[in-house]
Amino acid sequence: MYALSGMLQLQRMYIKSLSLRHFRTYMRLELDLPTGPILLMGANAQGKTSLLEAIAYLALGHSPLTHMDQQLLHWSAVESGMPFAQVRVEVVKRDRVETLEIALQHAHLTNGNTRLDKRIRVDNRAIRRSALSGHLNVVLFLPEDVQLVSGPPSGRRRHLDDLLSQVYPEYVDELSEYQTAISRRNALLRHLRDHGGDRRQLEPLEETLVRTGVTLTLFRRRVLALLSLHADRYHQELTGGAAWLHLEYQPNFDPQAPPQVDYQMGLRLRERPEVMVDVATLQNSYRKTLQQRRERAIQRGATLTGPHRDDVTFMSGGYDLGTYGSRGQQRTAVLALRLAELQWLEQETGESPVLLLDEVLAELDRTRRAYLLNLLGKVQQTILATTDAEMFPAEFREQALKLRVAGGIITPS
Amino acid sequence: MGNAAVPPSVTQLIQTFSELPGIGPKTASRLAFFLLRGKSELALRLAESLQGLVENTRFCSVCFNVTEQDPCPICANTSRDHAVICVVEEPMDLLALEGTNQYDGVYHVLHGALSPLEGIFAEDLRIKELEARVGAGVVREVLLATNPTSEGDYTAAYLITRLKALPVRLTRLGRGLPVGGDLEYADAITLTRALESRQEL
Ligand SMILES: [Zn+2]
Repeated sequence: MYALSGMLQLQRMYIKSLSLRHFRTYMRLELDLPTGPILLMGANAQGKTSLLEAIAYLALGHSPLTHMDQQLLHWSAVESGMPFAQVRVEVVKRDRVETLEIALQHAHLTNGNTRLDKRIRVDNRAIRRSALSGHLNVVLFLPEDVQLVSGPPSGRRRHLDDLLSQVYPEYVDELSEYQTAISRRNALLRHLRDHGGDRRQLEPLEETLVRTGVTLTLFRRRVLALLSLHADRYHQELTGGAAWLHLEYQPNFDPQAPPQVDYQMGLRLRERPEVMVDVATLQNSYRKTLQQRRERAIQRGATLTGPHRDDVTFMSGGYDLGTYGSRGQQRTAVLALRLAELQWLEQETGESPVLLLDEVLAELDRTRRAYLLNLLGKVQQTILATTDAEMFPAEFREQALKLRVAGGIITPS
Repeated sequence: MGNAAVPPSVTQLIQTFSELPGIGPKTASRLAFFLLRGKSELALRLAESLQGLVENTRFCSVCFNVTEQDPCPICANTSRDHAVICVVEEPMDLLALEGTNQYDGVYHVLHGALSPLEGIFAEDLRIKELEARVGAGVVREVLLATNPTSEGDYTAAYLITRLKALPVRLTRLGRGLPVGGDLEYADAITLTRALESRQEL
């Protein structure tokens, strides 16, 4: 199987223990976790997804399911007036055990207001968000994953950002600087439109956008080229060699067209080698576009050009699966993408990530289910949430640790 | 604080206190009741000081530092080097730099930093006045000493775009200052090192 090529030398990280305080449905949870497959069983809204979310929270530095940390607090913590939540894991790495922790706490500001403070610690030392990168890697399979293919571009950008942020601290820093510059520039554009003022105030912000924006696109271009390669092979395996898959980067600005694939007759011809674009050319092109579109940006009160408008298309059999693919085709494509992530993380970090699967089997037909389970059997640690354990073959269930989840309480089954 | 048990004059003082930076409603109430308990002496002295502050101080018409005489003692001091202007965000930053005893040029106080998200733009700061001072011809060097924060860096970068056409040397306070901090909290040794290692832009 493809994912296992070269896996013998791979180190594999796994989570040894998980501890939650006032997180979602969990008042308090202390859980030791073994390697191998772990089945979380229970009805909906009992805390299965929240447990996967908590682990992903430590890998990404934010929740994959909400932008608002406030929503992660247990209701009793909110009612107590002293909101506090904590997620903590012990991760076994190749040569050591690390403790990762994120704590949410209401801090009183000097002006009497309160704010939800987020403190990140590794081995009890407080660290910046970007320093969390590389400590824990996960691949998360969610029931709504199909939205990555068919949904709005923002979801595909977030997907790339989350994946890159797991590995590269510099990506986290550049992204945050870029986003601050975008917010500032947009506020300034609206001010210039409504009240006038000196337009030279735009220049330093545009320089920041040019510097950080080009770095972001280069990262995205590179990760997509590799993801596409892996996803294509998985896709061919999943479809019995019937259909190729190509993830095509659609940068919002580009001095030269990205490498195009000839989709004639649905057959893929050889991809042209990647056009080499140097940083200076990209920066000049981005700077020029920002300057040319300034007037329109002022009218609209928004920045119209940059990687905050990038997109990715899923091409297969000559067409865009997001627009023309069937539900089944979209699901297969996204499964190939998640497996490609696993492969990419292994290659980039030399460590096999922890897999988190939420109700994913239910969406797959028997062949794809068997394919996925076979793959999971060879990964160091997989945590699967399901309402219906019968979906898993008896053999798989036997080797898995089975946990029952009900009302935020976990018991062995 | 719309409590009927609290007289309106007290409520009003509490309200006024809570408009100050760093003072929340709780602290404001505590201060107000403290003044009441201390009889009239402290409250009257405070009232006098505030009146003095409003009536006797103004901004220096040259550098916009807070002063009782115009121009301020620094601008009026002929033994200082008037060809070097150090640009700071707040009067407190100026005090911190004066505390090093290592700087003998003059200052320019912007009264803030560019922050579009908080509605602070170039026209809200003393930038036009700085440009006029630099353009008048005697100035040789402008030392940008805005805070080493994201806003401070943005402000410095913007000042460069405005001043770069003028025949002056532009420098930035050197490294060693804690990133994200304010000048006013830096100690004299750190500030001295930053002054000595100023960088050409
Ligand atoms: Zn003065």
